[in-house]
Amino acid sequence: MEGPMSGKRWWRPATGTLRETLRPQGDVRARNASAWLPHVTRLRSDMRRFEDDDEVDMVVVGCGAGGATFTQRLAHAGWRVVCLEAGPFWDPEHDWVSDEAGSRHLYWNEPRVIGGSHPVPLGANNSGRGVGGSMVHFAGYTPRFHPSDFRTRSQDGVGADWPIRYEQLRPYYERLERELPVAGQYWPWGDPHPHPHAPHPVGGNGEVMLEGCARLGIRARVGPVAIANGRFGNRPHCIYRGFCLQGCKVDAKASPLITHVPDAITHGAEIRDGAMATRVVMDAAGRRATGVAYVREGRERVQRARAVAVAGYSIETPRLLLNSAGPGHPHGLANGHDLVGRYVMVQGAPQTAGRFPDEIRMYKAPPPEVSSEEFYETDPAKPYRRGFSIQTVSPLPITWAEHVAAQGHWGADLRSRMRDYVHWATLGALCEFLPQPDNRVTLADETDRLGLPVARFDHSQCANDDMLMEAAQKVMEDILRAAGAGELMTIGRYAHLVGGCRMGRNPEEGVVDSDLRTFAVPNLFITDGSVLPTQGSANPALTIMALADRAADRLVHGRVPEAPARKAARR
Amino acid sequence: MTARRGRAEPSSAKKGPLSQIPTWDAATGGVVLARLGPRPPLSFFTPAEEAAAGPLLDLLLARRHDDPPIPVLPVIDARLAAREFEGWRFADMPEDDEAWRRSLAALDEETKVRHDGRTFGQVTHGDRHRLLRHIQDLGSHDWYGMPAGHVWTLWSRYACTAYYAHPYAWEEIGFGGPAYPRGYLRLGRGTREPWESPPAEEPATETDC
Ligand SMILES: Cc1cc2nc3c(=O)[nH]c(=O)nc-3n(C[C@H](O)[C@H](O)[C@H](O)COP(=O)(O)OP(=O)(O)OC[C@H]3O[C@@H](n4cnc5c(N)ncnc54)[C@H](O)[C@@H]3O)c2cc1C
Ligand code: SF4
Repeated sequence: MEGPMSGKRWWRPATGTLRETLRPQGDVRARNASAWLPHVTRLRSDMRRFEDDDEVDMVVVGCGAGGATFTQRLAHAGWRVVCLEAGPFWDPEHDWVSDEAGSRHLYWNEPRVIGGSHPVPLGANNSGRGVGGSMVHFAGYTPRFHPSDFRTRSQDGVGADWPIRYEQLRPYYERLERELPVAGQYWPWGDPHPHPHAPHPVGGNGEVMLEGCARLGIRARVGPVAIANGRFGNRPHCIYRGFCLQGCKVDAKASPLITHVPDAITHGAEIRDGAMATRVVMDAAGRRATGVAYVREGRERVQRARAVAVAGYSIETPRLLLNSAGPGHPHGLANGHDLVGRYVMVQGAPQTAGRFPDEIRMYKAPPPEVSSEEFYETDPAKPYRRGFSIQTVSPLPITWAEHVAAQGHWGADLRSRMRDYVHWATLGALCEFLPQPDNRVTLADETDRLGLPVARFDHSQCANDDMLMEAAQKVMEDILRAAGAGELMTIGRYAHLVGGCRMGRNPEEGVVDSDLRTFAVPNLFITDGSVLPTQGSANPALTIMALADRAADRLVHGRVPEAPARKAARR
Repeated sequence: MTARRGRAEPSSAKKGPLSQIPTWDAATGGVVLARLGPRPPLSFFTPAEEAAAGPLLDLLLARRHDDPPIPVLPVIDARLAAREFEGWRFADMPEDDEAWRRSLAALDEETKVRHDGRTFGQVTHGDRHRLLRHIQDLGSHDWYGMPAGHVWTLWSRYACTAYYAHPYAWEEIGFGGPAYPRGYLRLGRGTREPWESPPAEEPATETDC
């Protein structure tokens, strides 16, 4: 709750912010020049191409948050890298539109089956496809995880402890925040920190949240969003058009397509689009990976490599490993302890809307505006463990219609509520659902166009999850009412995916170690959201990038014991 | 929702999203303006399915005779024909195209049982309305081999997506439409761009079509 800042520390946010804002950008540019390079659409035409038979140093599957960051870091350090991406190599000007229904090609729309007592819709809700991955259409919130997220088991008796501590990830958070760059007010929660860019002006929805929180004494802050505020290299300023979830045509919002792929290409990486990986190829004994089989333009091919990193996100990564069963790995690659595909998590994301007499027009300005992490940590006075965060979300008409229809409204009722669109403001919560072994990805009986078994994702909530959903709804209702809302509407939803190949201290606990290397295969890595053991109530993209960055950093500096690429090179 | 002869185009387009067409980028204009143009003939729904789907969608969206001409059935037909699904299906439901066929057949089946062999398209507006209410009230209970609630969301998702993708629907609800490369300058409660219009007036009560 808001209170006078403790005596001698009041200046910290101010000086921290000032220092961050005035910082020269030379080191950012030296590490990753993406923002200063020609546009990625132009760089592409001169991109280096490898032959399938070239044994590259690393082949990465998936060019999203984790895969693209990993690719850029290795390429920058001189490694020869091919990144296979199932979807297209986007040209924002021609391939993306300022329109909701016209953007469905951004999502992973291949068939998938959902089950369990609380099935989680996929596609537009959480999975992207194409160079840039899900961040192409992510909202843009980029909070860090809290230090407590790394040890919920020992601290709160739930979830799992990570094999690393927050402090080990902090430097990577810091440098990625500068590369995206992240705009927002000084962050008072978790590990307090400033942001490199100033907070953006807010629209009607943000005003509602700030006002409601102020009235109740709940701290709320503008940001943190991966949207440049002011020019950043060649990237322009946000124009507040509100279509962040449809891909930012302006290039103001970060996605790896513009934040890491350009630098990767200039350092000789190849991003091979339209290349759907079908199997990790192993040597005869099943000990080491030798490359990746993929289908491109209807033909199956194999890219040879000294090491392989899988970064297809929480559904496709387990699916690929399960589809790669073979000698030594009868139940799927790296699945000797039956962990592949388990502990997949989504955040409970109830969405509460309030009607105001004046016009809010929530579609103006980016949907990610204001957040509060006041309820993030375990409150001993509450019957549940862990917590939730609250953020603005601003659904466009079709998503808003789904919100209204999910309340059971239809016919004249639906139409008349929809006619009221400009009067509504909407908040969303992110509840930390706990990891459960039976929330898992398996292979379904049906196959896709390529003949590969599709993924099935079963999901059920536990009692703690239910309590968080209820508590979050109550807080959002209070905030909206305090800001002057009349009628309220809440729907239950889910957001974000993580887990499915979690990291752990040993093979019984995780599929990968803290260097993101699989315990089972010394030259196989997993560098995406599937490695998270818990999810906090923070949006995951920045943490996924930071983990991939850390893994790459340790690999190129030879800090991964028996770095597989080196060992292979000595052969 | 088909014949709406003689109806004027919704707005004079001095204000509202359509007044902004000249400011849209080419890629967006191509996609959005195509929704105002002619549609290919139906290719997915059989005539019997069409006869059930038409009144079903009209009811779900409370279409009226003086509604703007927003195509819904043809848009859903084209989507299903192209197999443009959503990237997931419930484990207890078939794929969307099959789910549409089965649910429309079930709708006729259920109507026949209740109304002496007449199909959904042949009974009165009031009877259809009651029937839909009944299906909605079934919630997660089984309805012809599928959970009623999952059928309901299938119908309403496709209907809402088709209707609220149309610029005339944006005029109806006061949405600004595409905004690239123009963007917005006037942010905040109670503010409008000069060209932004209030939502359309609530029409006087009239029976749905
Ligand atoms: C609507 C929406 C809003 C979101 N908002 C936020 C937000 O505000 N903040 C936030 O932090 N996060 C947000 N997220 C989540 C965030 O985008 C993801 O968590 C993050 O991008 C996941 O990173 P990843 O590297 O694990 O996977 P992705 O970024 O999804 O990348 C995986 C890539 O792998 C490719 N791929 C998969 N399988 C194969 C294969 N077999 N062969 C070749 N390529 C393959 C895919 O095409 C994809 O491009 C949002 C997501 C969505 C959908
Ligand atoms: S609101 Fe800003 S960041 Fe979002 S899509 Fe528009 S220009 Fe990009």
